[in-house]
Amino acid sequence: MISTWINTHLLTFLVFAPLVLGLILLCLPQKQAPMAKLLGFLGSLGVFVISLVHFLRMGGHSYVENLPWMTLVNIPVDYHLALDGLNFWLVLLTTFLTPLTLLGTWASLKERSGLATALFLMLETGMLGALLAQDLFLFYLFWEAMLLPMYFLIALWGGEERRYASLKFMLYTLAGSLLWLVALLYLAGKSGSFAPALMAQTALTLSTGIQGILFLAFALAFAIKVPLFPFHTWLPDAHTEAPTMGSVILAGVLLKLGTYGFLRFALPIFPGATLHYAKPMAILAVIAIIYGALVAMAQKDIKKLVAYSSVSHMGFVMLGMASLTIIGTQGAMLQMLNHGVSTGALFLLVGMLYDRAHTRMISDFGGIATRMPVFTFFFMVVTLSSIGLPLTNGFVGEFWILNGTYTSAFGWGRALACIAALGVLLGAVYMLWMVKRAFWGAANTDEHSGTAHLTQDLNGREIAVMVPIVVLIFWMGLHPQTFTAISERPVAELMAPFQPDAPAKMAEVAR
Amino acid sequence: MRLTPDQISAIMALLIPGVAGCLLPLAAIDKDQNTQKWIRAAMFFIALFALMGCFFYVTSLWGKGAQPSFGPLRMDRLAQFATIFILITAALAVLQLWDHLHQEGWVKGEALSLLLFSVTGMILFCSSTNLMLLFLGLELLSIPLYALTSTLRQRHEALEGGVKYFITGAVASSCFLMGTVLLYGMTGTLDAAAMIPLMPKLGGDPMVLIGVVLLLLGFLFKISAVPFHQWTPDVYESAPHPIAGFMSVATKGAALFALIRIFPAALVRQEGILQGKVQAALILVAALTLILGNLTALTQTNVKRMLAYSSISHAGYLLLGMVAGTSQAFIGMGFYLVSYLAMNMGAFGLLTAFGLAGGRTTYEDLRGLGWKRPELGFAAVICMFSLAGIPPTGGFYGKYMIFRELIAQGHVGLAVLGVLASLVSVAYYLRVVVALFLEKPLPSAEREASEHPPLVASLASGTVLVCGVLVMLIGIFPGFLSSVFAQRAVQEGLNLLR
Repeated sequence: MISTWINTHLLTFLVFAPLVLGLILLCLPQKQAPMAKLLGFLGSLGVFVISLVHFLRMGGHSYVENLPWMTLVNIPVDYHLALDGLNFWLVLLTTFLTPLTLLGTWASLKERSGLATALFLMLETGMLGALLAQDLFLFYLFWEAMLLPMYFLIALWGGEERRYASLKFMLYTLAGSLLWLVALLYLAGKSGSFAPALMAQTALTLSTGIQGILFLAFALAFAIKVPLFPFHTWLPDAHTEAPTMGSVILAGVLLKLGTYGFLRFALPIFPGATLHYAKPMAILAVIAIIYGALVAMAQKDIKKLVAYSSVSHMGFVMLGMASLTIIGTQGAMLQMLNHGVSTGALFLLVGMLYDRAHTRMISDFGGIATRMPVFTFFFMVVTLSSIGLPLTNGFVGEFWILNGTYTSAFGWGRALACIAALGVLLGAVYMLWMVKRAFWGAANTDEHSGTAHLTQDLNGREIAVMVPIVVLIFWMGLHPQTFTAISERPVAELMAPFQPDAPAKMAEVAR
Repeated sequence: MRLTPDQISAIMALLIPGVAGCLLPLAAIDKDQNTQKWIRAAMFFIALFALMGCFFYVTSLWGKGAQPSFGPLRMDRLAQFATIFILITAALAVLQLWDHLHQEGWVKGEALSLLLFSVTGMILFCSSTNLMLLFLGLELLSIPLYALTSTLRQRHEALEGGVKYFITGAVASSCFLMGTVLLYGMTGTLDAAAMIPLMPKLGGDPMVLIGVVLLLLGFLFKISAVPFHQWTPDVYESAPHPIAGFMSVATKGAALFALIRIFPAALVRQEGILQGKVQAALILVAALTLILGNLTALTQTNVKRMLAYSSISHAGYLLLGMVAGTSQAFIGMGFYLVSYLAMNMGAFGLLTAFGLAGGRTTYEDLRGLGWKRPELGFAAVICMFSLAGIPPTGGFYGKYMIFRELIAQGHVGLAVLGVLASLVSVAYYLRVVVALFLEKPLPSAEREASEHPPLVASLASGTVLVCGVLVMLIGIFPGFLSSVFAQRAVQEGLNLLR
């Protein structure tokens, strides 16, 4: 009976199963923390397996659930979830990373680890809900619901500056989403619905100026989440202070929701304004690429370095989208997955290092390679994928994005593509330089810090976490079509209004 | 004079708490805390019994769809909704008072009697369209509250707060009376409904404008809108915690329900100068209330004072609903008030539930308590996030509905101000969460806790848990509260006037 229910309500099951599990774990006494961790891991693994099995069998038919939910102040709100080409792989990435992260951080948290597992599962509910929601009000609810568990993960298990970082995370994200809510309410009031399609029709009837303002309100909320260049300052703090599991999921999925929001809502609802603001968005994206890379180069803390590299990588995603070409956007889609896998893996590895040495400063290390060869192997693979070496996943995404930007109809496309290509180079510089100093250089001779604590190489559990990631890295690098085939059609539809079938209009705006 | 059944059923809701309030002092005659515990329990039981009786009576009226009236006293759906709102608040306050008064060591039956009189006044205030009756209700609800503020005589702030409240409240009441007199002089009637046809002719008259503004001032004082808010923090700080909660929720609610009934129908929704000017004044007051309330709350170190400023800022959000002025906005206000009831009674009840009596209500005193009583801490987190308006809690939908109507009426700027204000509010509500969970208790507090057995406040804890559950339920099923209750209350209640 349950399995038939799951068959017909798969999306509801995926979204709410982690929440129910999390609430159950919340009720377990503190002594039962190992039990809670085990239940959390097995439960989320079950969710992953179910999603994988169902999705692979999906074939042509798509999953949709659409019910009227309620009517508030004359506007109907629908409980509308759907799985399509745009969110397919992001949903799988989320269900995949959750059990992996729980397993990878098994021993990291000493205190109240049961509670952390419960919060983590609730976070999964928020992310899956936001990815699957097709009704903007529903999306907004899930979007905000992601905040609370993440806030507590940072605030309760974070580092020294956790109170500052968690408050900053909260206020930054809320600032964007509250202004966005005003725009949402304005548009919903005009169209009498929260369905994106109806909103898009209504938006066309509004004046260009108002469309622009509404688009900017949407863009601000998403840009803060991505984070795009001037709004990125919460990210390094949040990443550095968050516990490993928080960082992994923050980099792995949460940031993607910003770019996903652009693709899913901002672009189709405001095509005119998107065209108009493509140039500033692309410029900010390129600034993020270069600036993020340069700041990453100057970091002394490995985790902070990875955090800034996130800013740089997410800049690529934004650039690919702003090029408004099919190949650029497909590259952005792929780069979202790449970044989720590689950066998530990097944070996991840094966490493993920190669990042993209780420091993340590059200068405290040196000679890790001789003490932890297995760890070094995995770290090197992930580093190379993050740099974008051909054969690994990073290369394909960045290549497509640069390709799309270069060939776009915009006049600025070529120049920005060239500058962004510099970012790829800088990426190699900061990553490899860090690896050289921490892994290969002379060992830190201090008996009490850094390298001296690295007495154990990765254990079986940690290897089990890394192997699927490495497999994925090469799979995505060698056969990216697996991951992009499904999004081809939706992306083409999304980009149709921007393609040069109206070349005059394009040229006019681009100038 | 013989009363018809209709008239009797209209005044029953007033009679039940009123008569119980008269009976209570009989059970409470003692000078020096010598009463037996069972007598004390009996007093609280009588009070609760009266509130529950009234509650069941009014809900049965609602269920039957009866809307009896007795002259200008109209027990219509709006009045029934308001009455239920006030009764639930009062019942929660009574439950919390039991624990709080025992913690303070000063259990007096008068407090309950005064509370019931105040409830009677509030019900009268919400259910009448006659300005004179409104004034009676205003005084009947205010005077017991002045005394309630100073209930705990052994605290030196108590008298100060009571006197402060009394003096400022008296000024506000006299303004209200003056406004009534002026309007009566100009229109020749005291009934707001009867004033409607006369207003367009008199709209330009400055005396009418002054009358309306003075009347408005009386209301704004009660909902503690800036610039009539100065009494709020001092009074809340000196009042017993449950009474402070009761004042912040029930008084504000009663004044706003009365405002919904009187203002749009009788005075504002008229063509001409009056509407523009009153509207402008409301916008100004609402904006100032939002800005000042939220910014001042940021700098507080005392949780009770923070909650006082937070209640000022919530008055600002609610006034935005008045600015929008459509029936949808009033529905939103009704919804907002109900969720505010749950989250604010939860927040004030928290202090009692943790046994923080007297002046020990700073953030320091809350430190680390969340881990000691996780279920209370959890409820507190829900209440705080709801106060901050973060989904999926009830507080979010209240703001959502008001902002939505505000934007539909073209006040986008005010809506932006509103969301920015609630962004600021997140910072100070989170401080409570931070204190509860992220900070270690002070060594002195630890020592004290080990010397004295922790105070058991089971009733207050129960109310906090109920409030937390209520906030979540409103957040998960917002459509139920809004369409089944608030919408019918506003639409069917206001139809009588039109």
